[in-house]
Amino acid sequence: MKKTIILLVLITVMILPVVAEGKAETYPSETISIIVPSKAGGSTDGTARQFALVAQKYWEDANFIVVNKGGSGGLKGFDEIARAKADGYTIGMVFTPQLVAHVVSGRAHYDLDSFHIVGNIVEDPGIVVVPADSKINNLDDLKKAAKESKLVAAVNGIGSDDFLAAKDFEKIAGVEFSLMPTAGSTEQKTAILGAHVDVAFMNLSQMLANHRNGKAKIITICTEERSGIENSIPTSKEQGYALYMTATRGMVFQADVAPEIKSALDSLLAKVLADKDFQDAMEKMLIVAAPMPGNEYRDYLTKLQAQTQEVYDVNPW
Amino acid sequence: MELDIISVLITLFKFKNLLAVFLGTLSGIVVGGIPGLTATMAVALLIPVTFSLSPVTGLILMGGVYCGAMYGGSIPAILLRTPGTPAAAATALDGYPLSQQGHGGMALKVSVVASFTGGIFSAFLLLLVAQPLAAVSLKFGPAEYFLLAIMGLAGIVSLAEDDVIKGLISGVFGLVIAVVGTDIISGQLRYTMGIPDLYEGVSFMPALIGMFSITQMLELTGFNRIVSEKVDLKSIKHEKMPKGMWKFIGVGTLSGTVVGVLPGEGATIAAFVSYNFAKQMSKFKERFGKGNPEGVAAAEAGNNGCVGGSLIPLLTLGIPGNSVAAALLGGLMIHGLIPGPELFTYHANITYGFILSLFLANIIFLAIGTFFAPYFSRISLTPTGILIPAVSMFAIVGAYAMNNSVFDIWLMLVFALIGLVLSKTGFSTSAVVLGMILGPIAENGFAQALTISDGSGIIFFNEPIDWILWVLILGLLAPPFINMVKRNIKKKKTDLIYSDN
Repeated sequence: MKKTIILLVLITVMILPVVAEGKAETYPSETISIIVPSKAGGSTDGTARQFALVAQKYWEDANFIVVNKGGSGGLKGFDEIARAKADGYTIGMVFTPQLVAHVVSGRAHYDLDSFHIVGNIVEDPGIVVVPADSKINNLDDLKKAAKESKLVAAVNGIGSDDFLAAKDFEKIAGVEFSLMPTAGSTEQKTAILGAHVDVAFMNLSQMLANHRNGKAKIITICTEERSGIENSIPTSKEQGYALYMTATRGMVFQADVAPEIKSALDSLLAKVLADKDFQDAMEKMLIVAAPMPGNEYRDYLTKLQAQTQEVYDVNPW
Repeated sequence: MELDIISVLITLFKFKNLLAVFLGTLSGIVVGGIPGLTATMAVALLIPVTFSLSPVTGLILMGGVYCGAMYGGSIPAILLRTPGTPAAAATALDGYPLSQQGHGGMALKVSVVASFTGGIFSAFLLLLVAQPLAAVSLKFGPAEYFLLAIMGLAGIVSLAEDDVIKGLISGVFGLVIAVVGTDIISGQLRYTMGIPDLYEGVSFMPALIGMFSITQMLELTGFNRIVSEKVDLKSIKHEKMPKGMWKFIGVGTLSGTVVGVLPGEGATIAAFVSYNFAKQMSKFKERFGKGNPEGVAAAEAGNNGCVGGSLIPLLTLGIPGNSVAAALLGGLMIHGLIPGPELFTYHANITYGFILSLFLANIIFLAIGTFFAPYFSRISLTPTGILIPAVSMFAIVGAYAMNNSVFDIWLMLVFALIGLVLSKTGFSTSAVVLGMILGPIAENGFAQALTISDGSGIIFFNEPIDWILWVLILGLLAPPFINMVKRNIKKKKTDLIYSDN
């Protein structure tokens, strides 16, 4: 009995891939994999899973599956999307500035031309945050305090958006921090809530809840315009600092995919982005929807890559 | 919305919510029982599903998976020396020898009772004192994390008491492996040989599966079955729980919960720390690692204590203590439940419904585990001809599934060979595992602490907590060394007698 069961399981396991190999007639006739270059449970992962859920409404026959390829700051996942078969059954999420930072540091096996860029989905503005009882209340205070004594600033890894923002501020204000890199934003959050560091460069979605309930103080949002999600936080532009940093999360796939599949997926993303359910879900997750069509997003990425290159040339990592 | 305990209970005891706890816990046990499928994955998969459920039902489902998986990992750890989750590695140290000796059923009973106790106690703390405990957890900065990691590493000495030198070499080997990958502090790549799969370091789970499961399967090839022939089925199935377990369950529960509350420390560390404390307290120290149910009790109470513990910083501050908690955070956010004081006031009915469901989940796995223990224990009687291919297949699938990476399968096989060589030559694979987990925490904590203090070592002695940690470290280190010295003196004496003759 036991042997029979095991045999059956083995046969099924061996046959399954053969059956799944059936020939494609109309797109999409196979499962579409969405590669998420980060671990399960994060906000990029959540965005992708929400996309899959809502996309199902528009393409009822299609199947989406989220494949997490976490690690190495997204590099593994980005590489995989670029290397995928150009049949439109592998699409993927990308996030900045890591996508271009890997190109700049020469570690990537892709460049921006490896991808068809479907568009941007959401953004997460950079912020500067200090412990709740800190004397620092704005960027001027931060500059002053940093000139008086060396402040400890927590950033999430070298070459991350936080790191780039901190380096930017150092340049603009003419100060120097003791940079304390962390492994992940959770460590940064703990360091700020426990007042183990003086300041941290992070993203809005990571600290907004703690800011609202008074456990931490966001002193600026690194954008030109105030955020729709929390209107009370002043921008760096208002405070007279040209400190701009936003993390974006978009969707791309292999550049050589057939044109009709390209336009099919482009319009699918547009429909999902306009969908009320999708927008509601994003808002609940404290993620700011920032729809941007493919050509605009490509320009944005190209510009970002050039800026990152400038920082890298001065401070390689 | 104020907390209304009656309506919370009414919600909890609705049929669909009870079904959610049951299904969540049951699938958690299955997921936890299969190496490579983790609670993190299961919770992440459930997030979009829960979107169509009411928030409380969705959370209950995910909570059940978390509790169930943490227990489920111990079943294959005890029976096959194949930890279903990394946190169950410490359980295998004594659980598997017990199975070999024909006490598999008893070990499973100890494990389920210990898991239950750890789970229930930590859920009580979550229910009653979440806020003050979270505040204490924030006192832990990089310096304290460094000391905690050292405390864990001190465990190597007591893990390998028979041969401290070989144990230390194994530990250092683990630390060396942990060096591979991106250095967080400088951003430089270390020993990655240009392989992107190594940029994030050697993946822990495939290495663990290789060193524990595959090595074990290779060792088994010389035997017909795990249990020696003499033992009869009846005694395996119906063996009572040994006496004197409560002391060790207590130690495990306490240290597991404490470690769980600290963000960044995982259930794996909780289990090993509990195991070491139990060993130091035991009257039968020398039996540890050779089949002492006390070790199973402490390790399992430890990793399940971590469940409630890790939810404390998650719900109060939005700080996930481990990867499962991080996935749960995604599940909370999708329902607009933002961690913080509001969860305990405005959303009190949902939050307390969720917390109370954890008690139910623990009761459910206690019932399932106790009922099925005799049946599960039969696995140790399965002929190895069937067992080895089946377990190896799961191991390969598991190694792949962790990161969807073929590279990880090769990594697992390499570590299987390493594990085989180490165990045949008397080195300690558990010490390697400890080194691998704790290396990065120690290194980053050390570097970050010195960044904060601008290079001054005083930071490791600043707070009262630091002194407590130093005392604990010395407490763990001293007895093994005293024993070693004693043994040396004894040996010298016997040598002396020999030479006299």
